[in-house]
Amino acid sequence: MALIEIEHLKKYFHVASGTNHAVDDITLKIEKGRTMGVVGESGCGKSTLGRTMIHLHEATDGIIRLDGEDITHAEGKDLKRIREKMQIIFQDPYASLNPRMTMEATVREPLAEARRFSKSEIAQRTEELMERVGIERRLRLAYPHELDGGRRQRIGIARAIALNPDFIMCDEPVSALDVSIQAQVLNLLMDLQEEYGLTYMFVTHDLSVVRHISDDISVMYLGQLVETSPAKELFKRTLHPYTKALLSAIPSMDVHQPMQRVQLRGEITSAINPKPGCRFAPRCPYAAEACNDPQKLEEIETNHFVSCCRVHEINR
Amino acid sequence: MGKYLEIHDLNVVYTSDEETVFAVNGVDLSLDRGQTLGLVGETGAGKTTIAKAILRILPGRQSDIRKGKICIEGDDLLKKAEKDMLPIRGNKVAMIFQDPMTALNPTMTVGDQITEVVALHNKGTRQEAEKHTIEMLEMVGIPEERYVEYPHQFSGGMKQRVVIAMALACNPELLLADEPTTALDVTIQAQVLDMINNLKQKFNTAMILITHDLGVVAQTCDMVAVIYAGQVVEYASKLELFDHKRHPYTLGLFSSVPDINDESRRLKPIPGLPPDPTDLPKGCSFHPRCPHARKQCKLEKPELHEIAPGHFCRCHMEHGQEGQKWH
Repeated sequence: MALIEIEHLKKYFHVASGTNHAVDDITLKIEKGRTMGVVGESGCGKSTLGRTMIHLHEATDGIIRLDGEDITHAEGKDLKRIREKMQIIFQDPYASLNPRMTMEATVREPLAEARRFSKSEIAQRTEELMERVGIERRLRLAYPHELDGGRRQRIGIARAIALNPDFIMCDEPVSALDVSIQAQVLNLLMDLQEEYGLTYMFVTHDLSVVRHISDDISVMYLGQLVETSPAKELFKRTLHPYTKALLSAIPSMDVHQPMQRVQLRGEITSAINPKPGCRFAPRCPYAAEACNDPQKLEEIETNHFVSCCRVHEINR
Repeated sequence: MGKYLEIHDLNVVYTSDEETVFAVNGVDLSLDRGQTLGLVGETGAGKTTIAKAILRILPGRQSDIRKGKICIEGDDLLKKAEKDMLPIRGNKVAMIFQDPMTALNPTMTVGDQITEVVALHNKGTRQEAEKHTIEMLEMVGIPEERYVEYPHQFSGGMKQRVVIAMALACNPELLLADEPTTALDVTIQAQVLDMINNLKQKFNTAMILITHDLGVVAQTCDMVAVIYAGQVVEYASKLELFDHKRHPYTLGLFSSVPDINDESRRLKPIPGLPPDPTDLPKGCSFHPRCPHARKQCKLEKPELHEIAPGHFCRCHMEHGQEGQKWH
């Protein structure tokens, strides 16, 4: 069953040179207890999508449902209740923690804010949470600047799970960490998911990480969804030309096999005042006349959706 | 004798009133022209410090090259007077910095910035320097019309290409590339790496590539040095290192990376954290995190042993850990 469903979600920003279609007509579902990886290059709108879903941005248009309930226009008390269920882990744990708050105070804050726990409950839960994410007791009075990136991110995680949310939007949570620490944090996130039955949306530009942690993957390009599929299927049968190029660009660790790269022309442009057709067409090796028309997301195989009018020709 | 670049027993510290940071602790490296050496390691391992020491652009007051030799064709750079370094920097040895957003001057057009470098090092007219700049820009795929534009008018990938054009403008013999693609998206990273590789072949440049991305190493380097706590812990040709890595840290580093071709869910990270460079552990600096540490490892500093022809490993276990899986 789907925990989160979004339909035709749009988030536009007005900028000096026009309207930025950061999230443009995206429809997708995230099943309970699963991880949806969202990948794409900088500026493709993947973080904006996640933030709009959890109500950090007001949606311009479309519907967001949490557990069947329409939460698109939730306000006041309703919004507060929903926010307890939907949390976020930020990319930069240094910028997202209050530099004047100790680790303990940071974890305690959401519990106190919920206004339904006694003092002793809060103290106990805080201690449990810090232990669960692996922060040593001696560090409970430390400030963010006294800790390394890995520990800071663990505090960000403790804070996110404090109120037993159903859904956590992880916005590049390991991108700022070194590989050996990154692996520790990824393992922690996977353990917590199993323990509490959490549903994740995992936004990242790192495709090896996303493959590792995700059950399903969505690929975005300039505000639009180009392909979405179960993770294994996506890597086995990549259908959209952009996804193909993206996957082929990852430097492989296999030293014996030279890489077969799909060469792309030019660079990612912007989603400000886009033309109606496929936004990837200017860089696409398969671009044709029909690509100037608006594209539709088509289910090619069960749960494998692609937005490309030439998908059948290309993948014959 | 006679590699193009030879670094011997390099020691660099950063000092402040309260503490001394032991950033580089006895590094030996060598490199031939036309070769690429990858320096791999985590944040704070000392990779960038090594590169900056070669160019002698470490912050003067807070840093000190305590010991060592850095020889280019037998000529020790560390013995040179500051004024003799000027014709070397940017000319013989050039550096590509990690962050293209901060490496460029925001108040000069990109064309003028490159022309400045060319004019400084090559005797010739301004017109010749400008012509050369345009050639360089075209080589990295930036059209001539953009000569007069400012850095903020360029995207991240294009700025990085400007930085590369600038580094290559004087046809350097040695190129130091400090995480040249880390700030870029993968499709742009692929373009930039291809370009660096092509240019390197064309000009027979020696290159040191600093990165933490093992995939980038696999696709671009000839030799690899793994750096931990300011020391080379393993050094070999790329093929030898990827196929027969032996140092426990190298093994841990490789098993921490989610491999795109591997489907297993749980990663096997290295426990603990890199050591505090102001207070390095006694003995082997990796021993607090090493699953194979013995008493000897806590007391004695291991030397770099040649465990196979051209393959060096800094570990007390004579043959490293081949055959032993991590954990």
